[in-house]
Amino acid sequence: MKNIFRNLRKDALYLSHKCRDGNLQSVFSCLDIVWVLYDRIMNWSPEKAQDADRDFFIISKGQATLALYPVLIEKGFFDKEEVASEIGLFNSRYCIQTDVTKFSGGVENSAGSLGHGLPFAVGIAYAGRIKGSPSQTFVLCGDGEFCEGTMWEACLFAAAKKLDNLCVIVDDNDSVGAMIDMGSMRLKLEAFGFDVFSVNGHDPDALEAVFRRAGGLKNGRPKAVLARTVRGYGSPTMMEHDIWFHKAPDAEELAMLEKEVEAF
Amino acid sequence: MRRAFLKRVADMIRKEEDTAFFTVDIGMWAIRDVLAEFPERCMNVGIYEDGMFSIAAGMASRGLVPTIFGIQPYLIERTLEQIKMDLAYQKRGVNVVGTGAAVDYSKYGYSHYCAEDVQLIKMLPGCEFVAPGTAKQFLQLFNASYRNGHPTFFRISDHPNLRYDPDVRFGKAEVMQTGSRATVLAVSVMLDMVMEACAGEDVTVLYYTTLEPFDWETLAENCPSGKLLLVEPEYEGSLLHDVHKALPGRALRVEQVAFPREIFRNYGTYDEKMRHYGLGSLNIAAKLRALRD
Repeated sequence: MKNIFRNLRKDALYLSHKCRDGNLQSVFSCLDIVWVLYDRIMNWSPEKAQDADRDFFIISKGQATLALYPVLIEKGFFDKEEVASEIGLFNSRYCIQTDVTKFSGGVENSAGSLGHGLPFAVGIAYAGRIKGSPSQTFVLCGDGEFCEGTMWEACLFAAAKKLDNLCVIVDDNDSVGAMIDMGSMRLKLEAFGFDVFSVNGHDPDALEAVFRRAGGLKNGRPKAVLARTVRGYGSPTMMEHDIWFHKAPDAEELAMLEKEVEAF
Repeated sequence: MRRAFLKRVADMIRKEEDTAFFTVDIGMWAIRDVLAEFPERCMNVGIYEDGMFSIAAGMASRGLVPTIFGIQPYLIERTLEQIKMDLAYQKRGVNVVGTGAAVDYSKYGYSHYCAEDVQLIKMLPGCEFVAPGTAKQFLQLFNASYRNGHPTFFRISDHPNLRYDPDVRFGKAEVMQTGSRATVLAVSVMLDMVMEACAGEDVTVLYYTTLEPFDWETLAENCPSGKLLLVEPEYEGSLLHDVHKALPGRALRVEQVAFPREIFRNYGTYDEKMRHYGLGSLNIAAKLRALRD
């Protein structure tokens, strides 16, 4: 694993430790995707954070918010110590689930309730179409989130309106396996009218290639990237023990997990 | 009211490039020309509401002004979480225009009734609720609020007031008559009946069409008796919180003419329903006598 991906994970561990909360398994599952988008794909930089034609990143799976903060920290948009000292506090701007009302730029949606981010992103993409904006919209969803009906309503609309400026990323860490037999997401999304791509969600170069391929296809079809991921990827302890779905590390655990990430 | 609204929509879509209109599969005939001419900004979106609300919120976040048209219970109850999180919390200027409440679809059963709409929306801070009594008033209220950056819910009725049609202002009650022995709050389409019942009576009549934000000030200035009759075409109690906010520390005597809080298992006509639940001038007059004396 390259250093940046270690650093992102260590940032997430640190933030989770400081706020004594967080869903680290989900965060580690999607960090590589979020970084590749911001670092290699999106028309976004701290200076462009309020540009009307920037690319948008929407977190639909709100439990992964602690994946966005480290990326924006490493991109120089947020200050690590400020986030760490304020996150989750009474009057903080930094919520455990992103809160768009506290920022002008940087955080693009309010997450928390599942099934909202994807249709919200579809609205952003559709507004871009109406306004003739070149911006692209990327939305990160969990596989489990697709149990919500609003996800499929949004897919129906996106395909009917030919939103090829929309890229839906499914962080497929098989959460839904514990819930219901979802069948083939690929077939479902294809049937809805999406161009569907599969990729190893922890391989940065493969992720970059697939996003470039998807983004280049201006064929009137929305894109879906099925990213196979592993919950807790980057820490053998987290990959093995599901208690880390919702658990914050104490000082001792923080040191142990940081070591694991260093050695991964 | 519906016709006036759709005519306004056609005008808005033609002249205001940042507006969008989505109908949940009703009213298409009246706007068939703009539907065909502006397919991106004016469309029959199909039969779904909750996803549509989040989509509209996303559009509003990029500076567009979306208006959604549908049937009140589906617009308001199916979508409650979207209203709370995507519209109210994020302060998205989305307009939601609902037909059917409370019992306009009188033969269609409980699924189509929505006497609870006012309370549901008032329960979620950050939303506005407007219930005009006539087509003219709809336009006055819509034009005053549709670009104000807040989610605004409009309840339009197929049974408007026919005799009384005062000019109204968004967020303000109108003083229809003044008197000393009681104050009557007439809400939306109840105005004609209230005015009939109060003719020649020494009572104040206040006419409310904006129910959220509620005009506490006008009520506070116009209730010398502490006796109140609330006449509203929704579930009883929908405005009690506001009455107490407007008149803090006062000993009040309150009577209500409104739909009782019960499940409606009946059908029939609109008039039958109004009669059955006592939403008429005779009952208003009787309640007023009891209150006044």
